[in-house]
Formats: sequence, structure tokens, C-alpha cells
Amino acid sequence: MTRRLGGLSNLSVVGLVVLLVAGWLIAGQLTAATATIVVSALYFAIPASSFNFLYGSLGIFSLMQPVFAAAGGYTTAYLFNAHHVSPWISLVIAPIVAAIIAVPVAFAAVRAGTGPVLTALVTLIISEAVPAILVGVKPLGGAVGLYVDVPPTPSFSDLQFVSPTTYVRIFLVLNVLVLAFLIWWRNSRYGLYVTAVKDSPDAAEAVGIPTARIRIVTIVISGMMASFGGVIYAQYNLLSTPDLFLGEAALFQVIVIALVAGVDRPWGTLVAAMLIVYISNKATDWADGRQGVGPLVFAAIFVLVALVMPRGITGTWAQIRANRSGRPSAGARREHTEEPLAMSSNLSGTGSSEA
Amino acid sequence: MYLAQLLLVGILSGAVLSLVGVGFTLVLGVGKIANFAHGALVGVGMYAGYSAAKYADINPYLLLIPAALVFAVVGWAVAEMFEWRGRKIGHIGELVVGLALLLLINGALEVVFGADARTYSSVDIGSVKAFGLIIPATQIIAASFTFVVAFVAYLFIQQTRWGRALRAVAENPNAAALHGIRVPIAQRVAVVASIVLAGLSGIIIAPFSVMTPDVGAGYLISAFAVVIVGGVGNTLGAVAAGLGIGVINSLAAGYLSSVWTTLTPLLLLLLFLLVRPVKVQA
Repeated sequence: MTRRLGGLSNLSVVGLVVLLVAGWLIAGQLTAATATIVVSALYFAIPASSFNFLYGSLGIFSLMQPVFAAAGGYTTAYLFNAHHVSPWISLVIAPIVAAIIAVPVAFAAVRAGTGPVLTALVTLIISEAVPAILVGVKPLGGAVGLYVDVPPTPSFSDLQFVSPTTYVRIFLVLNVLVLAFLIWWRNSRYGLYVTAVKDSPDAAEAVGIPTARIRIVTIVISGMMASFGGVIYAQYNLLSTPDLFLGEAALFQVIVIALVAGVDRPWGTLVAAMLIVYISNKATDWADGRQGVGPLVFAAIFVLVALVMPRGITGTWAQIRANRSGRPSAGARREHTEEPLAMSSNLSGTGSSEA
Repeated sequence: MYLAQLLLVGILSGAVLSLVGVGFTLVLGVGKIANFAHGALVGVGMYAGYSAAKYADINPYLLLIPAALVFAVVGWAVAEMFEWRGRKIGHIGELVVGLALLLLINGALEVVFGADARTYSSVDIGSVKAFGLIIPATQIIAASFTFVVAFVAYLFIQQTRWGRALRAVAENPNAAALHGIRVPIAQRVAVVASIVLAGLSGIIIAPFSVMTPDVGAGYLISAFAVVIVGGVGNTLGAVAAGLGIGVINSLAAGYLSSVWTTLTPLLLLLLFLLVRPVKVQA
């Protein structure tokens, strides 16, 4: 594995190519109904990957990744309807929009230096606030959202296809690109810096790593990553609504997929997304479409994984691999270095000093 | 007159926010756990009251004492889960347990009761007329319950030996342990108390609230807002914050467009976090 292609090991490149080719061929064999399920799984894998990217590299538990996906969806829907901008171009503009949203959030997060609990709650509030804000924004369709205009004869540049198979393939390519990025990032200089910043911020600062900048860049990249998924998902659904991206089901689906996947390997989100979306869909079918069965099964899988495999599928995988080779995995070591709850008691209304 | 009406409505709805926030402030301040399922447990209380009134024809207020016992047992189990996961993978583990419970409760409520919004009006114990508004007595009971609970919790925390122990644990668990306070017990007590409060709040507010299986996330957000504005662990602060948010909410709804009703508290909260960040320690 000494020879590398742009920072990717040969093994990773082979794996990604096999995934792409196999996925491409399998996509052609799917029935329309299955393809629909696969599209939604492949979409959820994208924001979930961005969540795990952030959580795995910096320990930031951000519940607002779907907001960035929504930014992507609204960018393409708005630009296509209002200015007839090709969604393919929106794929370039959407990450810029996501970055514009992410930068102030990143600054606030870095400045406040809040612990994981507070970050989780604040980002949850942002996720809940965005639909409320969107309701008031008329150009973005308010509570109804935006329906993507359908030209009489959609061309390739309109990114509108009749067959879900095409979307399966587009999402497949997107997922492979995200995986390639994540694998590259791990071994890159930035990736190493980020690990240093997470494990020991003071030491990282002391050896000259710009910790604040690394944190901000990582948060912004994770937002941009999620926005790509949003663009394609909006085109697939031909609409962009608050509920599609930020409804309770969509919001928690992203988080649960990410947590079930675990942060130890980048491919986890893809596996977890397929598993969870497929099983909860099947369960709904078995229950004759009874309301709540899907969410309940989905929650049950989550509970099971949270209790039995607290580090998710890939954490367990890493553990098994490590046990075989007889040395503790990186994740196992990480468990014991979890920082204490960074929130002071505040009975009298005044807190202790800020970090 | 209109202003007085808005203020009154704001105070009554604010009292509900306070009630949910009081329990959350206990678990966050003393138990040091952000229980994501707090709002969902309020939802369980609501549906319990609803079922009692609708299917068994029992006055939900009679349910309060047995429900408190049931929620105490449930709370203890939840506290054990938090403790177990928290010890193993830290606070992220507790977040995950809370999130899992939230989703599980949402799903279960939806399977049992369906996704449609429900209300019940079978509890009619009269009403009071004030400023030209008819206030159902159920709302007045809820507001009074809030004030009593917050005041009792405040007295308990400030004046009793147990309360001192809880405060010590909140301030510095290690030092508290050195002084012979059983920290795990104190933290569990906080979790149990907050869950009992969550369940009872649900029963109390159900007669005048709209129920959907996913009320949990909404109440979690308002509880968090109340705690941030009122100060973590401060029960009287939670009441003040809840009333403040309720009144601002109601004024926004009355004088601005309806868009602002949901948005104002969220924007206020974000503003509050920016201006006066919750103090954290490294």
C-alpha cells in the first residue's frame, strides 16, 4: 500500500471502483419500488456522512446537517425556477450557499467552545428554527416549499429523469466521491491536524497548528458535503420543502443512520442507510402501512445498536479487526478520553468561568 | 384590553413552558444529563391523561399520584440506562440514549394512537372570566401547579440537607463524593424527579393541549429555551423564563404576523446564546 493515487491507497481505489461498478450494474436490475427505497437510503447516507465526518474528526455532535442539505435543495429549486439555472451548475453553487450558512455557525461554535451536550441542543434548535424561518420567506415558497418546474421535454441539463434508476446511479457516484474524499482526508495533512486538535487542542496549538481555523474549515466542509445530497434529492422529488429535509422523520433519520454507522470507517453510513431504510420500509409493508410502524422499527434498530454496539457498525468492525490483530483499536482508546461534560452547574444563575 | 388579554394568554401558555422547563433544569443542572427524551415523556403523560379520560372515563387529575409512582419507576430505569451508557462512552452515550428513547416513544405513540392530532374536552371543571376572555379552570390549575412545583423544588434545593447535597454534586461531583455524598444516588434522584415532573406535566396540560405523537421534540426545544434563559439548575429562573417567553410569544402573535409565533422564541434563544453564552468549563 505504498503507492498512492492522490493520497488514496491502492486498496481503497480498488474498493471504490468495485463499489461503483457493482452498484451501477445492480441499479439496472432494481424494480422501480426498490429503486425508490435505494434512492432515499443513498440520499440519507450523504448528510449522515457529513455528520460523522464532523463528529468523528472533531467530536462535534451537530444536529443541523440536514439544514445544509436543505440549503442544497432550495438552491437548485430556486435557481431552476427563477433563473433556469441547470441543477448541474447548482451542484457548484449549493456548497457555496452551505458554506455561507456554515461560516457564522462555525465561528459561534469555536468561540463559545461549548461541550457536546450544548452543541447538540443548539444545533437541534437551529434545525427546528429553519422551517419556521422558511415559512416567512416568500421567494422560497413559504410553508409549501418550492416545486421544481418540469419542462415539456426535460433534457439532461435539467437533471430530471423519469427512471429512479438514474437517480440511484447519480447518488451512487456522489456517495463514492464522498467516500473517496473521506478516505483521502484521513490520511491528508489536514486530517492529521484535525486528529491532533481533537485529541489534544492545547498541544496542537503549541506546535503551531491553527486550531481555530482547522475547526472552522472542518465544520464548513461538512456543511458543503451535505448540500450536494440536497441538490439531487430535491431534483429527484421535484420539490424542496421544509418537511422533506427537516421534518422530524428526515432530521432524525440522518442522525440515527450516522450513529448506527459509527465513525470508525467511512463506509459505515452507506451500509447503515441501506439497512435502516430498507428494514423500516419493509416493516411498514408488513404492517399494511400502519402509521408509526416504520418510525418504531427504525427507533428499535437504533436502540438495539445503541445498547449492543455503542460505537456503531464500524466501531464493532474495527474492534473485531483489532482483537484479531491483538492490539486495541483507536476507537477503544478514544472511549476513555471522553471529555467531561462541559457545562457548569448554575443554581444561583451565575456560572463558573468560561473555557 | 387587548394588551391585557395578550398578557394573560402569554402568562398561561408561559406557565406550561415553565412547567416543562423546571424538570429539564433539574436533570441538566444536577444530573448533568441533557435528557433528549424529556419532551417525549411529557407526551407520554399527555396521552396517559387522554386515555384515562377517553377510554376509562377517569378524571385525569385522579391519575396524578399513581402516575407519579409509575414515572418514578420508569425514571429510575432511564437513570440506570444513562448511568450505564454514560460511564461507558461519556456524555455522547447519554445523548444517544435520550435520542433513542425520544424516537422510541414517538414511534410507539404513533402506532398506538395514530398520527392525527387529538384533543379532549371531557374534563370540564368550569372556567373563569377575565379581561373578556374565558379561561378554563384546567389552565389555571396548570399554572398554579407550575408555581407550586417550582417553589417547592426551590425550597427543597436551597433549604434541605438533600438539596444541599444535590447542589454540591452539581457544583463539583468529586468534592461532593469526598464529603461523603453518594453522587450516583444524587444524580439518579435528579433524573427521577425530572421524569416524574415531565410525566405529571403532560397529564396536567393535556386537557387544553393538542396532542400529536411527535410533541416530544417541540417540548424539548421549549424546555431548553427555558433552561438557557432561566439559568441551568435554577427552578425559579425557569419559571420566570417560561413566563417571559410565553408573554413575548403571545405579544408577537398578537401584534406581528403569525409567522413570528414559532420564530420569535427561537430567535430570542439564539440571540440569548450569543449575547450571554451559557458558561462552560473545560
